[in-house]
Amino acid sequence: MRVQLASPSPASSVRQRLGAAACLLLAGSMPAAAQTPLAPGWQLETSGLFYGEQLRAKVIEPTGRLTRQFANGRALSLGLAVDAITGASPTGGLPTGQVQTTTSSSGRSSTTTADAVPTHPFQDLRYAADLGWTEPLGSLVSASTSAHFSQEKDYASIGGGLKTSVDVLNRLVTLTVGGGYNHDRVFPTGGTAVGLSPDTTPRVPGDNPKQVRTGLVGISRVVSRRWLLGATGSQTRETGYLTDPYKIISLTDPATQLPVAQVTEKRPSERLRDDVLASSVYHFEQDIFYANYRYYWDDWGVRSHTLDMKVRHDISSESWVQPHVRLYAQSPASFFVFGLTQGQPLPEFASADERLGPLRTATFGATYGFRVPGHRGEFTLRGEYMYQWLVGRPPTAIAPSTNTPGDNLRGSIAAEGDDSGGGQHLGTNIGTILIGYTVPF
Amino acid sequence: MRTRRRTFAALVLLAGIGIPGCATVHPWDRDLMAKPTMRFVPVPHEMAVDDHIYFSKEGSTGGMDAAGGGCGCN
Repeated sequence: MRVQLASPSPASSVRQRLGAAACLLLAGSMPAAAQTPLAPGWQLETSGLFYGEQLRAKVIEPTGRLTRQFANGRALSLGLAVDAITGASPTGGLPTGQVQTTTSSSGRSSTTTADAVPTHPFQDLRYAADLGWTEPLGSLVSASTSAHFSQEKDYASIGGGLKTSVDVLNRLVTLTVGGGYNHDRVFPTGGTAVGLSPDTTPRVPGDNPKQVRTGLVGISRVVSRRWLLGATGSQTRETGYLTDPYKIISLTDPATQLPVAQVTEKRPSERLRDDVLASSVYHFEQDIFYANYRYYWDDWGVRSHTLDMKVRHDISSESWVQPHVRLYAQSPASFFVFGLTQGQPLPEFASADERLGPLRTATFGATYGFRVPGHRGEFTLRGEYMYQWLVGRPPTAIAPSTNTPGDNLRGSIAAEGDDSGGGQHLGTNIGTILIGYTVPF
Repeated sequence: MRTRRRTFAALVLLAGIGIPGCATVHPWDRDLMAKPTMRFVPVPHEMAVDDHIYFSKEGSTGGMDAAGGGCGCN
């Protein structure tokens, strides 16, 4: 079976899967009561990420951050990052039950086994830079501003943010208010696909704008000598081109349930996203326990729960270890489908992007940190394993049929996977290694 | 209506943490709080990497970083 992809290049899909660190518009926005400022001087933070998905994407990402802390509390920070991404990305199509060869217009092709999620090879390179400035306004108030820029072959972003924190109640409580704005441009290779159209439909050349506005409020409190507690709420409004230009949706035969064609995906042009995060840091006699819980919801119908826990244990005065566990579960967007039935009317919006599906993620790992005697810097080495899967993904295209004319495959398949275990968890194994080095000078 | 309830619950959580209790923590009792490891993000460069990964692999965002965008990860 030979399929012409809807897109000549899935680079943006890659970016959407493995985007970049410039998302940290308001990095470190969580307020932190009673935090001791850094000592005046310079600090260099460097890291190298090695990321690998089984049979899919590979990423190497070196980053660097240089911070100048002044004696009066002012601080200047410059960050740089490069993402080198290669590998394969899911197209959004269903497993076919047959060996499948996919070819892009550039002539590159890939072969997918009968029960595998169809993917397409890609590569991309991304550059990002950000600049931040912190200015104390008296002894209790601090303001910081940041700006960032990033560029890749089919996506560009420029934006900035502003944040203000104030300490109250004898510095037991810190209140934070912030906001940010990004203006992005999406210019897919080969032009922009028309939503929910066959892949033979001519593409539209030119840029697609996207705006992102974020606001947040936060509070942190020193509860006791050992306990720090915090909460942050944020809201993000995205407008403009929010569709993944390279994702497709399989059209299945109503009788055989086999994929027989495909269309491009289409998402709404607005998205309102909210979340609230509760954080706790507790210092036991020796160890420190970090816990975070986040609840997220948006007007696309996605709801998620995230639980993240770490324990730091000092092995000696020169070394420490920090195990990490993270559990994540989300409900699908209202327009998420595994596939559509051919011959039935198309919905207004539809996407088979697994990141909008009934997704689960489990992460386990540990960081080891150490200092070399006589040296001021600290090295860290972290290894993590991540398993990600969709609840109810059909093992092949032969999936339970829907009874409602014009309905899609989403409901029945998801229900089977959740309740009876009939759906197969075709998960993704992911491993990461992160090497870090931080040194003041 | 559901969104309003969630927003209200979020505001209650934010306010609840800020309500001062009976106990106070005197400046001379903040030795542990002064440690650089007593912060919500113990290893900053790990947070940057984690946000990078999870933002691009999942449908949610926000929280520690309150990401305002900057990449097309989602």
